[in-house]
Amino acid sequence: MTFLPALPRDASLHGHHVDGILGYLTVTTGICFGVLLAILLVAVAFHRGNRQAHYTHGDRPRDRLPAVIAGVVVLFGIDAVALVRSTERLREGMWRYPDDDPTATRIEVTAQQWAWNFRYPGADGQFGTADDILTLNELRVPVGKPVYVQLTSKDVIHSMYLPNFRTKIDAVPGTITRMWFQPTTAGGYEIGCAQHCGAWHYKMRGELTVLSAEDFARWQVRAAADAALRYEAADAEAHDAWTWRPAP
Amino acid sequence: MTADPASPAEGNGGGEGAGPLHPSPTGFWRARVFSTDHKVIGRQFLWLGLVFLAVAGALAMLIRWQLAHPGQPVPVVGALLFPSTGGSVSAAAYTALFTMHGTIMIFFALTPILIGGFGNFCLPLLIGARDMAFPVLNMLSFWTMFAATGILTASFFTPLGPPAAGWTAYPTLSTAIGAPGVAQTLWVVAIYLNGASSVMGAVNYITTVIRFRAPGMTFFRMPLTVWGLWLAAILNALFVPVLAAGAVLLFFDRVLGTRFFVAGSAIRPGGDPVLYQHLFWIFGHPEVYILILPAWGIAGDLLSFFARKPAFGYRVTVWALIAIVVLSGLVYGHHMFVTGMSPLLGEGFMLLTMIISVPSVVLGVGWLGTLWRGAIRLTTPMLFALGLVVVFGLGGFTGLFLADVLSDVYLHDTFFVVGHFHLTMSAAVLLGAFAAIYFWFPKMFGRLLNEPLGKLHFALTLVTVIVTFGLQLVIGYAGMQRRLADPSVYAWLRPLMPLNRVISTAAFVMGAAQLLFVANFFYSLRWGPKAPPNPWQVGTLEWTLPSPPPHHNFDVIPRVVVGPHELGNPAAKRALGRDYQAQNEALPGEVPRE
Repeated sequence: MTFLPALPRDASLHGHHVDGILGYLTVTTGICFGVLLAILLVAVAFHRGNRQAHYTHGDRPRDRLPAVIAGVVVLFGIDAVALVRSTERLREGMWRYPDDDPTATRIEVTAQQWAWNFRYPGADGQFGTADDILTLNELRVPVGKPVYVQLTSKDVIHSMYLPNFRTKIDAVPGTITRMWFQPTTAGGYEIGCAQHCGAWHYKMRGELTVLSAEDFARWQVRAAADAALRYEAADAEAHDAWTWRPAP
Repeated sequence: MTADPASPAEGNGGGEGAGPLHPSPTGFWRARVFSTDHKVIGRQFLWLGLVFLAVAGALAMLIRWQLAHPGQPVPVVGALLFPSTGGSVSAAAYTALFTMHGTIMIFFALTPILIGGFGNFCLPLLIGARDMAFPVLNMLSFWTMFAATGILTASFFTPLGPPAAGWTAYPTLSTAIGAPGVAQTLWVVAIYLNGASSVMGAVNYITTVIRFRAPGMTFFRMPLTVWGLWLAAILNALFVPVLAAGAVLLFFDRVLGTRFFVAGSAIRPGGDPVLYQHLFWIFGHPEVYILILPAWGIAGDLLSFFARKPAFGYRVTVWALIAIVVLSGLVYGHHMFVTGMSPLLGEGFMLLTMIISVPSVVLGVGWLGTLWRGAIRLTTPMLFALGLVVVFGLGGFTGLFLADVLSDVYLHDTFFVVGHFHLTMSAAVLLGAFAAIYFWFPKMFGRLLNEPLGKLHFALTLVTVIVTFGLQLVIGYAGMQRRLADPSVYAWLRPLMPLNRVISTAAFVMGAAQLLFVANFFYSLRWGPKAPPNPWQVGTLEWTLPSPPPHHNFDVIPRVVVGPHELGNPAAKRALGRDYQAQNEALPGEVPRE
């Protein structure tokens, strides 16, 4: 549609918050930069050469007016608006974790060089039990419900990046971080690693498939059967689940 | 030139008397190599910085080749540099390329050129002093930096390859877990020594400005260049030790097996990798101001000099710089919004970061006010200063996108960040460095640079800088992460590949354009016309001296009577027949104010 590439398609409940603030900042800072450039170019074009420069130190009180006006415009026109609006939206979206929402899909993510391990709690709703569903690089979630992930890493810092859901969060060894989003459109999306994690950082790509509720339920049944087949009680290394952490 | 020992020479110490002047050293080693003369040390830092600027620039060309043509053999030099892959950049080599590009550019090119080079050369001359407060420390600062460059260079040739954990060297990637080779240890040592060098310089600059200003050179008569360098030195002295602390702990983790930053799995906790990020960014955010403050100061002076009128709102500008310096120490958390930081901290850092935009805008208004109704002379240094204003404006405003948690979470670790910081702390700083070189070259080397060649260099550099880093903002906005050896692995990034090729083409032109500068620099060094004492017709103290100045700078310490930007004063024009007034030059019949 335009010659410049746009944002990736938004497939989330709160992604428009991000797109909104990006748009607001682009327009307002664009105007400010345009004004700066215009004044500079006019001065360079017309106030040059062998003429008497206007001799002033710009230190009279009224000379401070342009700086005060520019400062006030930026402080109240850009900073304050962005701050108030973003804080409000962060509190109602990204920072309001669905701890009390029983319909949320909970997933534990263990990142490693260079793959994503996803763990679903299975039918019992508990992580670290024999019925956990494990997948590698393929994340399946139902549409229209919150998806709540907690992350850690086995080796170095990674960062789970979901461009179509406008969010990302680091996976840090020794720590559990959290992130949630709510898909609104079924389909296939990509998971990227955003934090440099070694030579094959660029290949640490995962796939996120948003399914309808029925398809997700069907997949879960199949995946649970697979997981039960692969479960080995003696394989301690595979049992890296943690007890789901409530939000601090 | 020798001073008359009988004359009542005023000492460096703010008008107090001093003993007879030192004779200048004559032996090669004392005069040229282990010199304690700030002008020689400044030139040494400049050479070192320029050499490493070329190295880091060449690494950038290889990065851009890979991003435009992933996996294709690099033309001409590929077979030589990457024999094991048939000339193409492997994924591992790519990570080493961007690591060393960033490390060298920040610590071993921009810092030595602006702070080491022009800080040393300019500070004493601009404040009317004969040398730095601690000349031997000054020499040690250079040779410590030199040792650091040697160690960093050695890291290129280690068995497991060069350092590759990024210029930020986040653990645990930079510990034995992610970087088992000796190269990363050498990197840590080099950064530590580099920091030691910076702190030595900073202590010197701070003391020199406080104690060695010539009589009458009050703080509010100092050129903005001095303000920029002095404030940068204060930030260096305060915050480089924090990086050094991080480097020491990382060294312990790598060499002694401690676990400050090494964590086990979530179930078996050890140290905390995020602790390093705190230490790194407590230093790292002030660092961007350490780099840009001297460039801002230089631009502030040059805009006034070549608009032939005083800097508009000089005092307000200085207070804005001070405000930025204070705020710069309080905002580092915005680099860590996606580490799982608590919302309370997120809101606080968002607020503080955004507030920086206010003094920054005040600074910009001062620049525009200086240009407005001036008699602008578009000399090469002026063009670079104007370029800095444009490029910094573009880069500065994009900082707001990253200050806001909501937009930062999406943009974090994308090319939007890369474009933003290249515009602000790299391209703008580099334009400031070029402005400084074109401006002070006659004073440093006694010869004039070629102006038409300089203007061509400027035009090509400015256009390619804006295309390269402006389009990086665009592909970052579209979601492309940093540090991907091949972005086309991701389906949603494949449509961006043509744009990546455009960026690379612009970067290659930018690289080639720098050859004009190299040619101009070396040609003029040898064959350029001899520089008069004051080729730019400005009034700061260094231009009252011969080009280049004698060993002891000032035969008699000047008595400063006016500010640094006395240009275009009609009264001065009537009395002196020229449009500028030197800082130590009282108008006839005027009682000098102290």
